[in-house]
Formats: sequence, structure tokens, C-alpha cells
Amino acid sequence: MRLRPDLPVVAFATVPGVPAWARPRGAVEREAEAGYFAGAALISLDNLVRSDLVWAGVWRQRLALTCAAAAARLVGRREEQEALRDAHFFRAPGDEPGPAGDLLLAWRRLAGRPTRLDAATLRPVAETLCVRWDDALAAILAEAQGLAASSQPAPLLAAEIAAALYRQRPDAELLAFWLADLLTAQMLRWPTPVPLLMGQAGSGVFKTADGRRRIRPGGEGWRRAVLRAYAQAARDACDLGADLARRAGRLIAVAPKLRAKGAGEVVSLLLNDDAVPSSWSSARLSDRGARRLFERLGKLGAVRELSGRPAFRLYGL
Amino acid sequence: MAGRPKNSTRAEDGKNGGFDAELTDLAPEARWREWMNRIEAVLFAAPKPVEREKLARVVGRDASIDLLIDDIREELRSKPYDVVNLADGWAFRTRPAYSDAIVASAALPARSAALSESEAMVLVSIAYHQPVTKAEIAEILGREVPRDLIATLRDTGMIATGPRSPSPGAPFTYVTTKGFLGYFGLDTLRDLPDREALEDAGMLGRDRIASDSLPLGFEDDP
Repeated sequence: MRLRPDLPVVAFATVPGVPAWARPRGAVEREAEAGYFAGAALISLDNLVRSDLVWAGVWRQRLALTCAAAAARLVGRREEQEALRDAHFFRAPGDEPGPAGDLLLAWRRLAGRPTRLDAATLRPVAETLCVRWDDALAAILAEAQGLAASSQPAPLLAAEIAAALYRQRPDAELLAFWLADLLTAQMLRWPTPVPLLMGQAGSGVFKTADGRRRIRPGGEGWRRAVLRAYAQAARDACDLGADLARRAGRLIAVAPKLRAKGAGEVVSLLLNDDAVPSSWSSARLSDRGARRLFERLGKLGAVRELSGRPAFRLYGL
Repeated sequence: MAGRPKNSTRAEDGKNGGFDAELTDLAPEARWREWMNRIEAVLFAAPKPVEREKLARVVGRDASIDLLIDDIREELRSKPYDVVNLADGWAFRTRPAYSDAIVASAALPARSAALSESEAMVLVSIAYHQPVTKAEIAEILGREVPRDLIATLRDTGMIATGPRSPSPGAPFTYVTTKGFLGYFGLDTLRDLPDREALEDAGMLGRDRIASDSLPLGFEDDP
């Protein structure tokens, strides 16, 4: 394999996964059991996050997309992942994202960059989620900063802060999920948070015992539900990582065969974001050249077309 | 530059009484300046857009309304308001960037920005279906949506362009803004009247929105 300076070098490290013994095989009834599984799964996830893998960008943005889709369902919107993706990638600078695009924006912000637990972070997100900032939210933020200094288990603190926020502001449930992940990241010393909890909002872990209703933040069984949700979210995130590692490996393996100028930039984009529009172009690669490159990558099995459309295509791992 | 005496002007233009539109006793620059001021004063005082014919009454017969307005607008460039050409004349309008501030102040009585019925219908369609293209709105409403109607709604600061639609021609979509929420006193779009209830009542979806039973209490055309 020729070495090319414009292509990322990858070490094919094994991707940390959640071992079979840490995957519950039946109902998790007691809070202690739920805590055990959450802790075990979070250790695997922590190892993955710290490995600083070359495909971490696409991994984070796919998790953000999952969370945004769950958020959309929770508030009764009809957009699935594909529509959210369209709203994001077909927006020109200066255009409004629209309500669905805003949801994705909020979780992409969580996943996209190092984030601190302060008002400068939380306030714009509240606005993106159409939540009016008030003294109650400022007090919740101060409470979260206090909790971050404690030594309690991260998922329990996440459950506590989400419940506190929802109690004060029942209109800000999405922000409660968002803040829970931010606090978890603080506790685990991750500079950039990982979108986790929201993605489980529609799953069985947040259903009441009779399976009919959803457990709201602070409701009966909330703490256990959050523990189970973090266990499951961490497991899903590790599984997604294993899948993306395979796909990224394939892309990197075929990359030296790409003769187009600027191909390295495209490879890097594909490793760092959820998708790249087929209309993408750069100073070195025309949009026609980029289209041909995506088609070739598709034939080589290194990218997938994600929209399912014949036009306005979106390519990604 | 004596020109005609004032009396003759008065005699020619009986409709305006003693009003001196030509201002022949002023130097050309001062005259132009005065005409600009008059147009600005009329637009400022008028409760609704002022037509070209009415503006023509306060300036010289040969003066170009368009050039006068261009000069006025040039002077307003650093101001938060502007003179805009609407379908039925000219009017002062605050710049869209300040719609949030105006809404936040709650200084305007609710009826001052009353929408026409067709504007309200388009706005409701956008609110419930956003992001939505102009063609899709036309499909929902079962009638054409004029381009300037969209422009009028944009001028109110209640809608903005959203992401391009991934369909032939990549048309713009439209979305509602914070100005929209503020205007109707909503915190979020979830506070809109229940979508399912409206659908059951046949007011949404692919059915036509019943024009006589809009859900948000708009005023009728003035």
C-alpha cells in the first residue's frame, strides 16, 4: 500500500465492545442490577471514546442523528432520520433550519465539539430547542455544576439533573435529556460529549411496568430507567462503532486507489461527518469530479448512498 | 429665477387649494430636499401604503417619485426602518432584523399587523407543514400562492427560508421564525392548536383549510 500524505493513516485497533456478560438477557428489575449493567457498558464506551479513532467524527454524528430522530418522535413530529439529514445538509448559510433541523442541530452541537457545563453552552441550545431561558434554568445549571463536583455515579447524577429540570420546566423535556448527557460527559471527563440518553427515549426502558405509558423525568422508576437507558445506549454506541470501524477500514483500504485530486479531503469528510452531499465540491475537486468519485466509492463498496433518491444524493459510511 | 408667482400655481391646481407643489421660488437643491421631506412626511403620517398618485400631489409635476424615494432610502440606510414598495404603494417598514425586538417589546397592539385571509392561510400551512415549499403550500391550499404574498409574510418577520427541498429545481422551503411564535404568544410550535384535532375537523392535511374557520383567530381582510 502506497503511503499518501493527504490520506489519514489508521491503526486497525480492535474496537472496544460491551462483553456478553454485561448485556442483560432478561428483565432488569432492581436498580442495583441496572446500575451494574450501566457501569459495565460505560467502561467499554469510555475505552472507545478515549481511543481517539479516525472515524470518531462520523460515529458521533450518527449518534446525534439517532438522538434527534428520537427527540422528533417524542415531540410528535413526523420526520425520520432521512428528513432530519436533508434539513441539515441542504441548508445554505443564513437559512433557518426549521423545527426538525433545529433538533438535529442541538444534538450535533452536543456531539460536535468540546463542551463545557456553562450558560454559554446551554443557553443557545435552549433557544434552538425553543425553550425560553429563565431564572429557573439558570438555577438548574448551577445545580448541575454543583453535581459535577460530586463523586456520585454519572448516570445517577444525569437522572437527577434531568428530573430537576423537568420539574421546573415541563416544557423543556428535550433539554433535560440533552443536559443529562452533558453532565455525564463531565463526570466521565470526556471533553466532547456523546449523544446517548435521548436515543433511548422511545425504547422499552422508559415504559411503565404495564408498558402503556412513558416514564417522564422524575416519575416513578425514572432512576432505574435512566440506568437501563445508559446501559443500552452505551451498548448500541459500541456496536455502531464496530460497524463503522469495518466501513471505515474498507474506505481507507480503497483510498490509495483513488486518483482524483482532492480525494483525500472527501475521505476525511466521510470519516468525520454523517454524510456528504453529492453536490459537494472544493477548490481541487469540481462537483462533477466529486460525483464521479462518490460513484466510484459506491462501486468499490466503500460508501453508501443514504437518501435513496436518484438526485440530491447523500453519501456516507 | 423668479418663475411664476404663487398665485398662478394656486389657480392651476384648484384641488390642492393653496398648496404649492412646484416650489418654484426655491433653488433646485432646496426644492428637491423639500420634496423628499414631503414624501417622507406623508408616508410617516399615513396609516397604510400611499399610492404614487397621492405622492405626486405634493411634488413638482416633473419630479420623479422613484428618484425621490431612492434618495430617501439612501438616507435611511443606517436606520432600522426603510421605505418599501408594496403592491399598493409605498410605506415605512421596520427592517426584518428588528422584528424580534419589536415583538419582544409587546409595544404593538395585536391588530396592527393583521394579516389578510390568504396570508393567514399560507402562514398556517407553513406553521404546520414546515419546512414546506411554495408548490407544496399551493397543493395543500388547492390554489396558487403568489410570490409577493410570500414576500409580504417574510417582511413581517414571521417566516424565513429554510433548507432547500431535495426535489427538482431545489426550491426553497419556508419555515416560521421566533417572530411568528412571539406574535401569537407561543413558546414553541408544540403550543399550536392540536394538529390531530385540526385534522379531524378537516382543516389540515391534504384537505383544504376551511377558510371560514381558521384556528388562530386572524382578522379578515380590511
